[in-house]
Amino acid sequence: MKILWITGLACNGNTHSFLNYPYLEQFLDDFEFIYHPIIDSNYSLVDIVSKTISCDILLIEGSISPEITKADKKLVDIITDYSKVVHKIVTVGTCATFGGIFKESEYENISGLHFDEKNLVQSFLNLRYKTISISGCPVHPETLVNTFYAIKNGIELKLDEYLRPKEYFAYTVHNGCTRNEYFEYKIDNHNFGKKEGCMFYNHGCQAPFTHASCNKILWNEVNSKTRVGQPCMGCTEPDFPKANLYETKKNMGIPANLPLGVAKRTYLTLAGVTKAFHINRLEKDMFDD
Amino acid sequence: MIKLIEKIEGEAKLHFSFKDEKIDFVDIEFLQTRSIEKILEGKNAFDALVINPRVCGICGHAHLIATVQALESCYDNIEISNKAKIIRELTLNFELIQNHFKWFYFTVLPLFGYKQAVLKAAYPSQIMGKAIASIAGQYPHNSYAVVGGVVSDITNTDIIKLQQYIQETLNSFEKNVIDLKTDEIEQYVKLEQLFTHKGDLNQILEDILETKWETLGKSFDRFIAFGENSFFQKGKSIKTRRFTAITEENIKEFSNVTSLAKNVVYGDKYYEVGPLSRAIINKNPLIKHIHDKYGDSIVSRIVARVVEIPLLLKHSQQLLKKINLNEPSYIEPKIDISKITASGSSSVEAARGSLTHKVNLKNGIITEYNIITPTQWNLSNGTKQSPGISQKAMFDLPNENIAEIVFKSFDVCSVCTTH
Amino acid sequence: MEDKKQQRKNAIIECSLELFASKGFYNTTIPDIAKALKMSVGNMYNYFKSKDILAQEVIRFISKYLGNELRKINELEISTEEKTHKIVEIYFKIALARPEMIDYFLRIYLSNREVFRDGCEGMICVNEFVTEIMIYFEEGVKAGDLRDQDFFSAFGLFMGYLGGMVFLKGEDILPKKLDEYVDDITFNIYKALSV
Repeated sequence: MKILWITGLACNGNTHSFLNYPYLEQFLDDFEFIYHPIIDSNYSLVDIVSKTISCDILLIEGSISPEITKADKKLVDIITDYSKVVHKIVTVGTCATFGGIFKESEYENISGLHFDEKNLVQSFLNLRYKTISISGCPVHPETLVNTFYAIKNGIELKLDEYLRPKEYFAYTVHNGCTRNEYFEYKIDNHNFGKKEGCMFYNHGCQAPFTHASCNKILWNEVNSKTRVGQPCMGCTEPDFPKANLYETKKNMGIPANLPLGVAKRTYLTLAGVTKAFHINRLEKDMFDD
Repeated sequence: MIKLIEKIEGEAKLHFSFKDEKIDFVDIEFLQTRSIEKILEGKNAFDALVINPRVCGICGHAHLIATVQALESCYDNIEISNKAKIIRELTLNFELIQNHFKWFYFTVLPLFGYKQAVLKAAYPSQIMGKAIASIAGQYPHNSYAVVGGVVSDITNTDIIKLQQYIQETLNSFEKNVIDLKTDEIEQYVKLEQLFTHKGDLNQILEDILETKWETLGKSFDRFIAFGENSFFQKGKSIKTRRFTAITEENIKEFSNVTSLAKNVVYGDKYYEVGPLSRAIINKNPLIKHIHDKYGDSIVSRIVARVVEIPLLLKHSQQLLKKINLNEPSYIEPKIDISKITASGSSSVEAARGSLTHKVNLKNGIITEYNIITPTQWNLSNGTKQSPGISQKAMFDLPNENIAEIVFKSFDVCSVCTTH
Repeated sequence: MEDKKQQRKNAIIECSLELFASKGFYNTTIPDIAKALKMSVGNMYNYFKSKDILAQEVIRFISKYLGNELRKINELEISTEEKTHKIVEIYFKIALARPEMIDYFLRIYLSNREVFRDGCEGMICVNEFVTEIMIYFEEGVKAGDLRDQDFFSAFGLFMGYLGGMVFLKGEDILPKKLDEYVDDITFNIYKALSV
């Protein structure tokens, strides 16, 4: 299966995250890049833009603007031309999906392919039916590669409203975090530099309301940000990045953003109950006697 | 004629002018900018820790460390434990190492007519990625260094894992790149001694000597490095005369007509940054001897970058032994960031050379931010009368393909250069 | 079946409330309550194993009742200021119509902590009521009407004030009728809490 990987306004983080895929040799046997930002192929960038070379998947990394050119050709024209020959389009990363960090750059009308944050973009509406969004900043290599394999094997993945495969994005980052017990019992005494404590209450962790599998499939096969003590920054979501990322926005002590799907009254009732009790094991350091 | 250079973390256009069938001048044009310095204005200081790694997907971690140190320099009194300092230096080392593997196997091999060795680059890079992730949660793009230290609470078994990752990466280097030990790097006095070893590096060096390219790419022989830590020294070197008293204040940045990237000078002169520069300033014996014979040519640049891998790996092994786990990872600053109105700056050695961040804060909000990247130093787009480092290096070459070899010997990062 | 049992329980609770209010908490015994309801004492113990457990159920009952009234107000699409008015109003209305309820809360729940320590830790027995106050505050801050501050500072101000007024009424000190104070008190509370 042939893939064209084209980059708009990007940092190339997705490219390098992809290189962390553990079975790269197998992947390169099963797929061929007609162009990739790092891996060589039979075609140069100039070749790719001067004629439409046959391929199966168009992959877009980075935010899109009508002003951006690649090898002197407008990116939007490259997308339009290739969209006619490929049978699937994949937006790789939050920038290509929603606009991301570089939305605030100084080109005109910067957005993702189909979404400008939460809003639907009109320009490529006709391509929506064949797009899959793999958001993330950067994308998780396994999420991306397994999606390629699903496409290759003709599997129709169930997609959410932002075209993200539910098999990866129906989870929240909260599922599988090693600090869950501190969340469950509302123990809000987290300090940086400690493996104990939950960062949702005071340090801005967005895991309970961010769609991703970070704590299920882990990063680099070994870890995740929340496990080491960095709050989740919500990087798979349309409004990434929010402001004041290391702080939990509260309205009179109550977190402004609640876990996904949990009603305010439910959350407050549970919080009220758990706060009434003390669990000694969770109030001291894990390795203490 | 115009050549589009690809796969340099983006692209660049080289506008060549020829005279008497030799390159007379190269105008270097970078084509895109994301205006990250503007994006940072008005943001909360700590948000820079999340935004700045996204300057670059391959050296974003250097940006994180530069950011946190620049913010910390805005405080009058701030305490960072030795444990946190060592941890930050370790993760930065790991990033440098994976950069060098990728450059050698993705960029250098094709320049000499060989196919990229994707797996030889990817495997050790993945191990270094795991090492970073063990401490910082994930790689690329983490923001685990915060003002006051690091968020991670590492344990003895984490350190054992890290030792294993380092050894595995060293094994990969010795098996594929060259089976050279660090004490040999201290003792060798000739390039030819490397040929007594086995590895892909030798193939490249042999090709260079055979084609008589060993003096290709010489520039002003002026080097500078700002990012001092326990391994890299700060200073500048004009040929081999070293000066240690340099200051970030004398770094000047200015626009040029063609490109979206800005030029950088120190005291009105262009300087080279990167592994060769660092090795000269550190007085690395092997590199010093190679530089004595071949000057600041592609040979010196290639060997300097490649040997930085085992040197940094060995140094990281030493650093791990020095960590005192009883120290805190994080010490809360006595003053809240919202009360800080000050300026600060910091430099770190990123893979490609010195990276400098300068920040102005008002009540904890960024009013101004300036990033100066290593590729800006090396690829400054000067004039014919006053050319930049890489422009001088490409001068008088017979064609644009050889010029591309010289250009890429600097390990170019397009996204960083324009940020 | 369940419904009938719950109805019976509620009847016991209502009766207890009245007796606690008229005779005093410590002077009222389970046999007193049983007698008033024409139930056997044994049967009483089927519904409530001890007086302390009954006492805890009573406060939960009151919390649910008040919580329900406050929820109706929270769900109205009116301004924060109007909500504040309605909360003060309903609180005083209940104080007048069901004095034994507020009376129980102030004089028995708050003053006899030893009865409630085991089984009513923290604020779990007044959960529904406190949750609605939290929602009123949170939405007020979100709407930009109320000043963001520590929850307990605001809670203390609001509830302390209302409780204090009802207490004074109970001591027969207030010259005017309780409902005549609604506007002034709303004004003071809103002025203190607003942005």
